Amino acid sequence: MLKYVLKRLAMAIPILIAVLTLVFVIIRIVPGDPAMVVLGDQASAEALAALRTKMGLDVPLIQQYFTFLFGAFRGDLGASLLSGRPVLSEVMTVLPYTIDLTIAGVVIGIVFGVPLGVLTAVYRNSVTDYIIRVFSLFGLSFPAFYSAILLILIFSIQFNLFPVISDPDLSNYGERMNHLVLPAVNLGLIMVAYITRSTRSSMLEVLREDYVRTAKAKGVPRFVVITRHALKNALIPIVTVIGLYLGVLIGNSVLTEIVFNRPGLGKLILDALSERDYTLLQGVMVIYAFIIVIVNLITDLTYGFVDPRVKHQ
Amino acid sequence: MSKRIGLVSVFLAAIAVSSLLFVSPSFAEVVLKIGTLSNDANQLDPHVSTKSQDKILFPWVFNGLVRFAPGSADLSKIEADLAESWKSSADGLTWTFRLRKGVQFHSGYGELTADDVVFSLNRASKKETSTAYKGYADFASVSAPDKYTVKIVLTKPIPSLLGMVTNYHGGYIVSKKAVEKLGDNFKTNPIGTGPFAFSEYQSKRQVTLVANKDYFRGAPKIDKIIYRYLPDEASRELAFKNGELDLIYGTREQRWVERIRKDKGVKVDIIGLGELRTLHMNITKGPLKDIRVRQAISHAVNRDEMVAFVGQDVAQRSISVVPLGYLGNTSDVPLYKHDLAKAKALLKEAGYPDGVTLKVIITKVASLRVPMEILQAQLRKAGIILDLEVVEHSAFHKLIRQDASPLVLYGAARFPVADSYLTQFYLSDSTVGTPTAITNFSHCDAADAEITAARSEADQTKQLALWKTAQQKVLTQTCSVPIFEQLIVWARTTKLDYGFEMKNSLSNGPILNEMTTLK
Repeated sequence: MLKYVLKRLAMAIPILIAVLTLVFVIIRIVPGDPAMVVLGDQASAEALAALRTKMGLDVPLIQQYFTFLFGAFRGDLGASLLSGRPVLSEVMTVLPYTIDLTIAGVVIGIVFGVPLGVLTAVYRNSVTDYIIRVFSLFGLSFPAFYSAILLILIFSIQFNLFPVISDPDLSNYGERMNHLVLPAVNLGLIMVAYITRSTRSSMLEVLREDYVRTAKAKGVPRFVVITRHALKNALIPIVTVIGLYLGVLIGNSVLTEIVFNRPGLGKLILDALSERDYTLLQGVMVIYAFIIVIVNLITDLTYGFVDPRVKHQ
Repeated sequence: MSKRIGLVSVFLAAIAVSSLLFVSPSFAEVVLKIGTLSNDANQLDPHVSTKSQDKILFPWVFNGLVRFAPGSADLSKIEADLAESWKSSADGLTWTFRLRKGVQFHSGYGELTADDVVFSLNRASKKETSTAYKGYADFASVSAPDKYTVKIVLTKPIPSLLGMVTNYHGGYIVSKKAVEKLGDNFKTNPIGTGPFAFSEYQSKRQVTLVANKDYFRGAPKIDKIIYRYLPDEASRELAFKNGELDLIYGTREQRWVERIRKDKGVKVDIIGLGELRTLHMNITKGPLKDIRVRQAISHAVNRDEMVAFVGQDVAQRSISVVPLGYLGNTSDVPLYKHDLAKAKALLKEAGYPDGVTLKVIITKVASLRVPMEILQAQLRKAGIILDLEVVEHSAFHKLIRQDASPLVLYGAARFPVADSYLTQFYLSDSTVGTPTAITNFSHCDAADAEITAARSEADQTKQLALWKTAQQKVLTQTCSVPIFEQLIVWARTTKLDYGFEMKNSLSNGPILNEMTTLK
């Protein structure tokens, strides 16, 4: 098991180098100038050139690349070109917000998605099935930024239950939860849709299996057949889907964070991109890639708990 | 099983209840919450940053030797600020300022003295520490004969010298001790003498200012300002409607203004000086080398239609290459009238009977992209086809400085003297691609002599005449088409009272000071 984990972590290194290289190249292909972002449009060409030198942007690209690569492997992701603060500290400031949001989104997704998926599978082709399927299709196709504005209009403006700006003081638990509800629901709705659909298809397959029919024939109560016999065996594909869609969730968290003005990794990436903060963007992307690798690893490890037949080698 | 379900239910209920129980803590202090555009502060150093979201903060934190009357950008109404009096020598080469006594810098950095003023003005005139340095090129020396006296000696007379020591850009006075002590950190920890003192900067979130109880004009009535970076317009407006913000940077569109004006308890301020939207034409490249093509473009532009589209409240028709309200602006210039037949005839004469196609780069930012799309439609009627390439805003700024676009639609507000606009946009020294480049996108060189001579002309009548000739020459060479001026929109709760009429502001935002109240 430990050998397996170490092997998987070692495999992450080339992935991280590839991500780093891609991000490094792509951000520099797109025109833009961090010095202009800092100094504004009235700055003269001389002042801009001086700042570019100060930022280290005038050294050859290949040198910049290796400096960053070696730094990253020493755990030093450099400093933001604009704020001058270490990239790691910029990330650590917003990471708790992203963790809160992602966990809450996944929890909402699982708590509502799995039962709804089971329900649609059990009552296949019934009115319940159709309603839930339409709902999940809606969840899949509805843009996250639009649902976010609708949630704000209803629950913030109309009922005044939650704030529009989700930027809590993390040490205040009540405020932290209060500010989390709407963004988490917004993200959760998408996750519910995904999980409902994959639970449904996975359950439908299992429900057709002989052992389920046998269990029913033996007179095992229906609820037990569904939860103990069928759902348990349908879980592996569902766990895979949850792991896979964490990537989707992160993508949608960017939009959610923007509309709710919530600090987070997604918003940090977008800001860095629009301001051409090369070092910050590179750093955050590497951390993101690392998170995805870890999440995938955890997903794979979960198989062993869900299905003892799965061995990690 | 049921016990487990019970426990989970209790846990979920606890989360839900605790989230709803949260009630905003009530503070006795008066907190003004502002939502601004942009993602983050770039530099809170007034001598360095020229970005809108930074500039808005500066007059709240810093003072100049003199200042524009609050809510005004009228150079004739300049009044005393840190200096209580001033005089200039007969030849206009020596200016002496007498400072107020007892003015304190924020955060215990001590009393303002002439040394701080000398340090600040020298800092503003150095390339390494200031983006405003070019404006101070004619300063021979700045010295402090005593603790409360500052002497500025010029190499040649500058009639608008007071404008350079006002509360704007290089004129802001910083604490010498703070700059020396904080070094590079000064940009996120600014120390001035203004009504509000810097308290905290949270990257990509907000800046907090607190009342400067020792402010020399009296303690402000607002205890704290929270200046939040909220780039998304929709959520900024929603947060304002929900009472989470008291003052927001609005959308500069007629429809938006009319809609929000209808809301109860909301007051909309439309602030000048406007940003002049000008279409700059590169006179050195392609079909635009021919003046007749440039004249055709000028005749094809329909200003009235543009203003009607953008909105009567938020836009005004421009009359010259220098914006309205600037010292030196004149309507006595050969501005081309909208005349499609003439435009077509000129194109034909230039050898383009079937029209001409130009590949143009424009930012995706709506305040420039939308007018460009309208121009595209207007020019098409005259047979001038604009092939628009929409790019990211930062890419736009880089590309237009590399001469990548023959037409550049640009919007800018500058210090309200004709010189600032003419120098940055029409002097050959400022031509893009040169080491001293600023924003001369058209490569205009028609009025170099007048622009340079006007700068040191001591006689104001002669100076105004030189600026007039310069504007006429720029338009005769057809370097650009001035189109309209876009005003700035802010929305506030009616509980917020500035304490004066907020008509114009050089900082792009409202002025907040000891007179401002929030009920």
